[in-house]
Amino acid sequence: MKDTENQPVKLKGVGDSLHVAIDPTQSIDTLRQSLSRTFERLKHLAINAKVIIDPGEDADCDGLIDELGQFLKDTFAVGMVSKPQPRKRSDNQERIREQDIGNEWHHYRSEALIIAGRVRSGLNIRAKNHLVILGDLNPGAEVYAGGDILVMGSLLGKAAAGQPDNETAIVMALEFKPTQIQIGGLVAAGITESGASRPEFAYVENNEIVVDDYVKGNPFRQLGWPEVR
Amino acid sequence: MDGKVIVVTSGKGGVGKTTVTAAIGAAMAMQGKRVAVVDMDIGLRNLDVVMGLENRIVFNIVDVIQGKCKIKQAAVKDRRIDNLFLIPASQSHEKNVIRPENMIWLAGKLRKEFDFTFLDCPAGIEQGFKNSIAAADEAIVVCTPEVSSVRDADRVIGLLYARSIKPRLIINRIVPKMVENGDMLSHEDVLDVLSVDLLGLVVMDDKVVVSTNTGTPLVMQKDSAAGSAFQRIGLRLDGHPDLPIENPMGQKGFWKKLGAKFSRKN
Ligand SMILES: Nc1ncnc2c1ncn2[C@@H]1O[C@H](COP(=O)(O)OP(=O)(O)OP(=O)(O)O)[C@@H](O)[C@H]1O
Ligand SMILES: [Mg+2]
Repeated sequence: MKDTENQPVKLKGVGDSLHVAIDPTQSIDTLRQSLSRTFERLKHLAINAKVIIDPGEDADCDGLIDELGQFLKDTFAVGMVSKPQPRKRSDNQERIREQDIGNEWHHYRSEALIIAGRVRSGLNIRAKNHLVILGDLNPGAEVYAGGDILVMGSLLGKAAAGQPDNETAIVMALEFKPTQIQIGGLVAAGITESGASRPEFAYVENNEIVVDDYVKGNPFRQLGWPEVR
Repeated sequence: MDGKVIVVTSGKGGVGKTTVTAAIGAAMAMQGKRVAVVDMDIGLRNLDVVMGLENRIVFNIVDVIQGKCKIKQAAVKDRRIDNLFLIPASQSHEKNVIRPENMIWLAGKLRKEFDFTFLDCPAGIEQGFKNSIAAADEAIVVCTPEVSSVRDADRVIGLLYARSIKPRLIINRIVPKMVENGDMLSHEDVLDVLSVDLLGLVVMDDKVVVSTNTGTPLVMQKDSAAGSAFQRIGLRLDGHPDLPIENPMGQKGFWKKLGAKFSRKN
């Protein structure tokens, strides 16, 4: 896409960052001058600002962006400079999302076994996909799920999520004190807790089971679109 | 009206089933009920010893089931307490001589003769346990404030629920000093995991051993903290279900059943 107004540099939008469209066919000097004019007008707004330099669709100009970024940092004390995130959106995805809205997600079915009550020592429960326990899972009890395991209570027993080999599954509990956790093929022995009973969850990162505060580390918050799990 | 058959069980051995059976049996007989205590530990009987009745045994439970005698002939009357009868275990048989259907038949007879029958269940969850719960209307689960005992009690509670028998819990051998120092689980800790109705809290008490050795019922001993706890448990089982449970930790005030546990807000 060529810039129709024939400007080598154009400040497109100011969100939480400055989006600067450039015409990569111009010489670096032209671009520098053009950027200078634009950024001079911004005055103190430029200081520490996040800047995205957008060379347009087809361009592979990482080197150019680096050079212009360094120039902006040196001259106008801007903060981080980056190139635009690749737009992954496909037509297909757009259509799906429109459907989601139109049907209010009613056309989906997500399989979960939801159980209310205390799961006592000696009991085993197996869920094909997700397992939700509205209650506590006692020491000596074992639960297995093809998908996630969510314990709306204390998890004190053994929970095996993502069985046999889904390592994207999580195990979450309002009080997380399991004797053992399995996710996919990975196993972790229970961690003797510090005592604070906050909601926590276990997930796989770099081939290891990691436990994190659920409220702070909630991995699904980053999903921009409500997906069916 | 038919009497009730109550199984006393624990999973783990040595936590106080026999002590509880003898003490509650005595307490309720002294309250005027006709009570039978049945030793279900075939091959390893000891309820008779705890009650000081071993030299009076003629027939036993296997004899009753095999039709060699009537219940009345096998039931040994207590030396001091009227209305209290022991049906002893057989020392010489294998535990498999009794089947659950035998117990269902026996329980039917016992309900007619006695207001309360307590079955002193052997440790474990095998044949003796299955026989005992086959016939029971209610269950008392005994545990001590130890992780392994709580784990086994939890298992047994699950098995009782699977049979639609609602269990009630006695926590035995509590040592308040140790709880205070954080060296022993508190009864709240235990209830957090087991979440069943609490029937009583019984402290560790030297009088228990004295009682066993002299054959004097615990509930007849003066100044026995455990004895008075068992008396109150007896009352709770018969007409006074809401009698407050004394907190052995000596904290001010009483708490009722499970209620207080849930009003604890941190
Ligand atoms: N509250 C108590 N205070 C002190 N000692 C106790 C108390 N309760 C039980 N004991 C002692 O603990 C031991 C085990 O008790 P008991 O025989 O009643 O257990 P049990 O559960 O019947 O055992 P088993 O599983 O072998 O049948 C006995 O020596 C008994 O005297
Ligand atoms: Mg015993």
